[in-house]
Amino acid sequence: MATKSRANPELRRTVTPWGSFSWGYSDVGADIFVGLGLVLAAAAGASNVAFLFAGVVYVCIGLAYTELAATYPVAGGGQYFVMRGLGDIFGFIAGWAVLLDFTIDVTLFAWTSVDYSSQLLPSLTNSIHPWVHFVAVFALVMGLCLLNVVGVRESTAFNGVVSALDVLSESLILCLGFLFAFRPSLLIHAMQFSWPSPYQLMLGTSLAIISFVGLESISQAAQETQRPASIIPRTSVALILTILIFALAYSNLALGMQPWHPITDAHGHHLAFWQMFPNSPDNQGKAVALLAAQVPYYGALAALYVPVLGAILLLISSNSGVFGSSRIAYAMSSSNLLPAIFQRVHRRFRTPAISIVFFSSIAVIELVFAAVPGLFPAAASFYARFFRGENGLDFLADLYAFGAATSYSFVFLGLIGLRLTDPLSPRKFKIPLNIPMRFRGERVEFPIVAVIGFVGIFSILLFTLRTHVLGRIFGPSWLLLGVLLYLAYRRYRRLPVLQSRQRDWRNEQTEILRRSGELELMDEYLANLKESDQRRAAGSSGA
Amino acid sequence: MLLVRALLSVAIVVCGGIVLAEMFASMRMAGIMVLPGTVLGAAMVALGTHRLLLIARVRGILR
Repeated sequence: MATKSRANPELRRTVTPWGSFSWGYSDVGADIFVGLGLVLAAAAGASNVAFLFAGVVYVCIGLAYTELAATYPVAGGGQYFVMRGLGDIFGFIAGWAVLLDFTIDVTLFAWTSVDYSSQLLPSLTNSIHPWVHFVAVFALVMGLCLLNVVGVRESTAFNGVVSALDVLSESLILCLGFLFAFRPSLLIHAMQFSWPSPYQLMLGTSLAIISFVGLESISQAAQETQRPASIIPRTSVALILTILIFALAYSNLALGMQPWHPITDAHGHHLAFWQMFPNSPDNQGKAVALLAAQVPYYGALAALYVPVLGAILLLISSNSGVFGSSRIAYAMSSSNLLPAIFQRVHRRFRTPAISIVFFSSIAVIELVFAAVPGLFPAAASFYARFFRGENGLDFLADLYAFGAATSYSFVFLGLIGLRLTDPLSPRKFKIPLNIPMRFRGERVEFPIVAVIGFVGIFSILLFTLRTHVLGRIFGPSWLLLGVLLYLAYRRYRRLPVLQSRQRDWRNEQTEILRRSGELELMDEYLANLKESDQRRAAGSSGA
Repeated sequence: MLLVRALLSVAIVVCGGIVLAEMFASMRMAGIMVLPGTVLGAAMVALGTHRLLLIARVRGILR
């Protein structure tokens, strides 16, 4: 037994409900720090509408992840659900898209962490000192890679403290902002007179989805939570609603804020708050800090600590990209979707060092692509000519939106597939609005919300392909490269190339429920299997 | 601690209710533009209610 546990070490299930919430919050909650400025710059007076559309889709995604993570509490996340529901190749595509997101996550959040720090240390500003900014982001990525290789990871307790401080701080900013700075008439005025073109609205909506990325953390937390079927739905619903409220509240406040300290441009003209963002990548990268500084009475204090809090939260999120990519690659490798090298553990540090270094290297390549136009004027003119002058932050946001929309689209299809092919697994949490029907002799429930969510996220994927010049080139290229590598690997290993490997899902599900401590659900599952087998036997003998 | 959480949850519900009331009051003037605010208010009411239900379950008021 000791030998077995050494060969296959399991993750300890020690995460509490608050730990589970803060784990998700430190990942998804940081997104608004990045997304707000980008969406305000793109969608102007319709920023709140862009957040609303993306937010409704996000609620559907969140509910889907909650059901799946509570039913299949394994760390593989989206790729595992899709592989189980649709087959190996689709599982690979979903997982490969998630890996793109995780590597972008590393660079994008390190980038914006430096942007937030530049609020207090102006020498880090990208447009004035691009090389200093580049070196700072590069150093952060390298530092996180090194920390993860040697096995130092921020503790759940640290996540919990930072998340609690952030929820408190954001609530305070919003409450005081709405009390003292918000004017409904200003909001309506901004919406009426600064309504963007359909193209800009599509761009804003596709960028708004990046404020809601990171739901993989729900399934990662599920793997380390005791009795996840009970705990995950409780914490996930609170997490989903909290993030939605913050995103909608910030966008409404930004549009309807009467500046206490009037904001003026270089010529002394008064500007609405959202007008600080178009054509200013520096401002886009630190929108929450700028907004907090405009809140009456509290702004002077907020201007000092919000950049620090934002930088820390973003750094934690960046770290979750390094950690998460190696973990997803490990899970994909265990399922024979990636080569076994991604499972290799460093002898001394006991960490998946090769995975960590490989995906951190991809993050550095992405950083170079993002930083090039700022570093070399010749490259900037090339970007201006061929990519509509997209800047570094746009490049990262493009790919982030593409990866998220692709993987989430597959997760909805995976959910529908699993509802049809695995109706016997007990679902302690089920997304609402289902149509009861029969499929292959079993009673199943077809999820309407998954269809609505799929239509929503697929339209965001189309918006991304339509409006993101770099995203529509590099995103599909990443997927194509991955599929080619997958086909070559499966062929080399003599595994089914387009088909799926045969797996004993019944035993695997029983084992998953046993390991997670959901013994009642395991008994219910075994009873369901027995009843189904008896029914089938009676049916075939009767025939 | 549970009492503080319950009070916070009630506060969230009340704030959400105020946002909803404001939005419905502005509907004649602003029309469809109140939609993001209405969803914001509804989400606040939902979050507060969700937390209150959890607390009620912990206290054994609800099963």
